[in-house]
Amino acid sequence: MKISVHQKAFAVVLSLGLIAGCSSTGETMEEDEYGSDVEAVDQDGGSTVYGSDGDGGVSSSDLTEDERRDRAERAEQEAMRDITTFYFDFDTAEIKPEAREVLVAHARYLENDPNQQVRLEGHGDERGSKEYNLALGERRANAVERFLIVNGASRGQMETVSYGEEKPAVTGSDESAWAQNRRVELVFE
Amino acid sequence: MTNRTRTPRTRYAQSLICLLFVWAVMGSNSALAELTIRITEGADAAIPVAVVPFSESEGIPSSDKISSIVQDDLAMSGEFRTLAPEKMLSLPSKRSEVYFRDWRLLGQRYVLVGALNRNGDRVEARYELFDVNREERIMGATAGASANNMRTLAHHISDKVYEAITGVPGAFSTKLAYVTRDSANGEPRYRLQVSDVDGKRAGIRLESKEPILSPAWSPDGRKLAYVSFETGRPVVFIHELASGNRTRIAEYRGLNSAPAWSDDGRSLLLTLSKDGNAEIYRIDIQSKNLKRLTNHWSIDTEAVWDHTGNGFFFTSDRSGGPQIYHKSSEDAEPRRITFGSRYNARARPDNDGKFVYYVHQRDRAFHIAKTDLESGEETVLTRSESDESPSVSPNGRMLIYATKQSGNSVLTVVSADGGDAYSLPASQGDVRDPAWSPILR
Amino acid sequence: MTGQERDVTPTGQQPWRSPVALSLLLHGLIVVVALTGWSWSTPKDDPEPRSISARLITQQEPEPSPVVEDIDEPDRDEERRKEEEEQQRREEAERQAAEEEQVREEARRIEQAQEQEREEQEAAAARERKAQQAREEEAARQKAEAEAKERERQRAKEEEQRQEEARRKAEEERRKQEEAEQREREEQARREAEQKRKEAERRLKEQQLEALADEADREREAKARRQQEAAAAKAREVQMMSESEKYQALIRERLSQAWYPPSSATEEMTARVQITLLPTGELQSAKLVSSSGNTAFDNSALGAVKSLNRYPIPDSRDTFERYFRQFTIEFNPQRLQ
Repeated sequence: MKISVHQKAFAVVLSLGLIAGCSSTGETMEEDEYGSDVEAVDQDGGSTVYGSDGDGGVSSSDLTEDERRDRAERAEQEAMRDITTFYFDFDTAEIKPEAREVLVAHARYLENDPNQQVRLEGHGDERGSKEYNLALGERRANAVERFLIVNGASRGQMETVSYGEEKPAVTGSDESAWAQNRRVELVFE
Repeated sequence: MTNRTRTPRTRYAQSLICLLFVWAVMGSNSALAELTIRITEGADAAIPVAVVPFSESEGIPSSDKISSIVQDDLAMSGEFRTLAPEKMLSLPSKRSEVYFRDWRLLGQRYVLVGALNRNGDRVEARYELFDVNREERIMGATAGASANNMRTLAHHISDKVYEAITGVPGAFSTKLAYVTRDSANGEPRYRLQVSDVDGKRAGIRLESKEPILSPAWSPDGRKLAYVSFETGRPVVFIHELASGNRTRIAEYRGLNSAPAWSDDGRSLLLTLSKDGNAEIYRIDIQSKNLKRLTNHWSIDTEAVWDHTGNGFFFTSDRSGGPQIYHKSSEDAEPRRITFGSRYNARARPDNDGKFVYYVHQRDRAFHIAKTDLESGEETVLTRSESDESPSVSPNGRMLIYATKQSGNSVLTVVSADGGDAYSLPASQGDVRDPAWSPILR
Repeated sequence: MTGQERDVTPTGQQPWRSPVALSLLLHGLIVVVALTGWSWSTPKDDPEPRSISARLITQQEPEPSPVVEDIDEPDRDEERRKEEEEQQRREEAERQAAEEEQVREEARRIEQAQEQEREEQEAAAARERKAQQAREEEAARQKAEAEAKERERQRAKEEEQRQEEARRKAEEERRKQEEAEQREREEQARREAEQKRKEAERRLKEQQLEALADEADREREAKARRQQEAAAAKAREVQMMSESEKYQALIRERLSQAWYPPSSATEEMTARVQITLLPTGELQSAKLVSSSGNTAFDNSALGAVKSLNRYPIPDSRDTFERYFRQFTIEFNPQRLQ
């Protein structure tokens, strides 16, 4: 497995951080060694407190504000990452504003999972010249690749290929079909 | 006996007569000056020509009627209008049977007659072409071929007839290379095929589940270069037709596309994006040495050599949208050729350096257009609206391109001057990316 | 977390066995490994090619055998026809020659007849003169006879006079007087004849002069008439010209529609065809008088000219004869705009 610079640096920093926090934890544990009715505090957030009346575990999982926000965010991100096709206007490789947020989510996802590979497939609509469309599809795929890299993904995770007008998503010779064929598809492997 | 004395009266009378005579002669001379009428334009229509079904001896194969093939060839060129045999008043096969008055009545300018004779396993055709109005024979000859090659014989006759009338050698004995796409078992199926110029006698050379693009004929007509996605990515192959031997000539990262042969068959122009974006390169086929010919952040693709062999045309979007450019040599500055609309791509020049043909967008429709390289004048040649992939015949008189009909892509031939288009009959699926072969020896 | 007190623990454990020391060691190892395995660049993987999904198809296609072509077959029918035509032409020529001979014969005969007439006239005049001479001679002879007779009588009378000398002298004198008178009368007759002749001559001359004067008058009248006619002819010509222009335009239109210039035609090519029409408008003959240098182009011009069954010509026979009996058509394609 080839690890990128970022990952190595991250690893080092993490380890330093761990060194920093180690002893104090140990200390705390040491000093509180006498038995106690009170159970250990759940560090993941949300604690189960057992009261003395022994009511039988009424668990009121009251999540903290931050924790709730984080979970919601992650859910949103997952939903966004369902979108893997990005569309373009005629004869351009400009990424549309509505695509940016989604691509950022993908970038973050890739960033988080360095093992994840993705193939970016560029396409064009059927009009005009085949070879020019081949180059245009590549330009679109490259634009998406650059965007992902800027937002956290690494080049090694990505592969680009262009099919030009040769693999339309929708057959048809009207504006709607053409619009749906001018795209870049993310194919996760 | 009598004495004639010259009186002054007589002298006066005589000189008067002389003067009057001179005046009369001069006056009548101006009346004798001949009228000249100047004709500066001709009929803007196809020449009516009648191809009479050839007479046949015993043993002539019943398929592949030579006269219908010749008739279709001439009609396909766009320069001739043929006559259905049902309308012919007689069916001559030699001069003594030709009544010119009949053909004049039918409005025909030329009549082709002939006779086929079986000789062992060969067929001989004797054919004659007549000018109806001058009532003269323009040409006549005998030609032969083996009995299973009637189509070759027919196209040969078409070439000769075409040349006799127009002065330009015919291109009916050439071939077409193209790609078809249909589906087999729910999966797409692409096939690279080579056929006669009328689409007949098609043979499959490559079959693939992945796209095949941009076939290009070598100058000797023996090889095809093309782009195949069979490895999952675009790779340029050279395919020798007789043996089926293939070489991968360009397999770099990114694009490997738009191959075009040099006149000596030793190098190809290619589009590669290995150095960042699509640029034009020249590759030596033997050594695989690369020379980069364009250097611009824009897309530069679809390069083809011009008729001199020193310069080339290519498509570039350096001015915003794709346009045709020309470099007069590998190191010259590119000069823009097309200005008439915001999308012009896929240049194909003719062999004389007179015109360049390309895909041209006008009012949201894509046509084939041409530019006169001397005057810069642009002419739109097609009326259909989703045209692409033009290719010129080697005699510069016909153009083939792909267009949509009822949702499918079909190949269509039109005269290089524009006019009526003639679609090649196609079976299922799409037919696209045609390439016209050179004259084959 | 509480403060980071790293002093010796009160538990009294050995320093290298404490959890801190262990974690330090582990992390130290990581750092070492990280540093040694460091490479400052990120090698990028070339993507693995997927399996090839194409099938090569080589066909054992029979190479189309080359078409064998023979050279242009001499058109025997054509030759035969040409021979026949030649013969016909020769016969025509002979017939024409014969005709011309006949015509010449005719002319000769006419000449001869005229000659004869002239000769006869002269002969008649000569005969007249001879007759006149004869008459004069007769007169002279008669005169001579008379004189002879007279002399005879005189001799006889001299003999009688010898008998009658006296009477005869007086009678002789009388007779001499009579003779003298006779001679005078003859003289007069001759003088009168002379005068008559002179008169006749003079009258002839007068007639000739009158004739000349008449001629001069007639010529003057003729000149005046001719001048009038010329003026009228000019007026007619102007009218004819506009009429001819109208028909020129018609012919130009018809020929343009009938001309199929070959696709290889250029603006430099010019072919000229001279045509002769019959008064019905039908083509009598067409001849290429100036070639463009390109056979296909020349043939297209001739074909166009011969394709018209009837040329539009004016009704006026004069205009037709003047402009459209024989004229030249020049074919030279020009681009529009």
